[in-house]
Amino acid sequence: MQPARTTVTGTAGTGRRSTRRRWDATDLSLVAVFAALIAALAILPGIPVGPLGVPITLQTLGVLLAGLVLGPARGTAAVLLYLVAGLIGLPVFSGFSGGFGVLAGPTAGYLLAFPLAALVAGLLTLGVLRRTHKFRVVLLFLAALTASLLTIHPLGITGLMINAGLPLRDAILVDVVYLPGDVVKDVLAALLAVSVHRAFPRLLAAKPPLRA
Amino acid sequence: MRGFGATLGLYEPGRGFLYRTAPAPKAVASLACAVAVIAWRSPTTTAVALLLTFGVLIVGARLSPVRVLRMLLPAAPVLGILALYQGLAQDWLRAFVVVGGITACLLAARALTLTTATQDLLDGVVRLVRPFRRLGADPERFALALSIMLRSIPYLAGLFVDVRQAARARGLERNPRVVVTPLVLGAVAYAHRTGEALAARGLGEGDLDEDPPDDRTGP
Repeated sequence: MQPARTTVTGTAGTGRRSTRRRWDATDLSLVAVFAALIAALAILPGIPVGPLGVPITLQTLGVLLAGLVLGPARGTAAVLLYLVAGLIGLPVFSGFSGGFGVLAGPTAGYLLAFPLAALVAGLLTLGVLRRTHKFRVVLLFLAALTASLLTIHPLGITGLMINAGLPLRDAILVDVVYLPGDVVKDVLAALLAVSVHRAFPRLLAAKPPLRA
Repeated sequence: MRGFGATLGLYEPGRGFLYRTAPAPKAVASLACAVAVIAWRSPTTTAVALLLTFGVLIVGARLSPVRVLRMLLPAAPVLGILALYQGLAQDWLRAFVVVGGITACLLAARALTLTTATQDLLDGVVRLVRPFRRLGADPERFALALSIMLRSIPYLAGLFVDVRQAARARGLERNPRVVVTPLVLGAVAYAHRTGEALAARGLGEGDLDEDPPDDRTGP
């Protein structure tokens, strides 16, 4: 009656209240393929954006997409699977890095925030998709933005302070540089998630009407 | 699709006592390095950690010191900026403590991945899950998820390259939406195909005595 791993079961309980069904083979492969998607987005060169062509790396985009597309339980599981693969040493983090060494590196806070980001984004998405069909892009954008502001940035700043030894003010300055790019990624994630839910409507929604 | 498969797995066959050590002690040592460097931040800790990791890599994997330094190249820009910042804003001893500590941990982690075959790493992490079976963990499904993930990365990376080339042909490579949408839709479709293939072989489902998991049958 449980998802694949114990670490996930706690979050899975909050995600689906009454119908806690076991994941079927498609759920399992969605989790695995999204973990692979995050890895692919993280290790491939970023896409140049706008007239200046500043490349944005797409690791966080993958993390947010996991929450927005798969919902809280499977989304968090996908990000955890990605982190486990990276921590045991597969080169799936940005810049082909991997291994426990990143835990001592300056970006450790960002990595550890990723599962929480997927969880928050997934919970908010579930609420949006079950309640309304209007303004989905805007609402999902707000969900992604909330998730990254609540989890990725605070934990990322904490990681910079602990591991890189920066004082709070400098850590915030380093972090703020990434904010504009993050907003772009949040917009992108919302547009993509709406496309996916339109193409695969049974992926996340379509449960409560039986009870309502 | 394309040759991204080779980029995964950093194992390089070689000789030395590191190759003969089981993955578990190596993983514990690499994790202990990270913990020690973060918990006891002092010049002594950093110096000891650096000496140990360099020494173990040179003796245990029979690498030349130059090759050990070359393994740090990917991380060099970040480490350099951090060292410069710490040295100018605080003092150079602190720069050594922080950057040296991170360097030691990167090398310790690299020692694990360099001398352990990828399959042994995966087996090890699955074995780690096994004691939690009583709490509801399922090592077999976890292993299945890990291997599907690894198999999917080359496919998705190849798809990404194809889609980007198609976008470039239309002059749209600056539009991330055009580039990423087919990739994500392709990933979801690929996951569904994989799920169906698994179900057809009776893999990845739960125990057989449970109800069919599909609760979307409706009225």
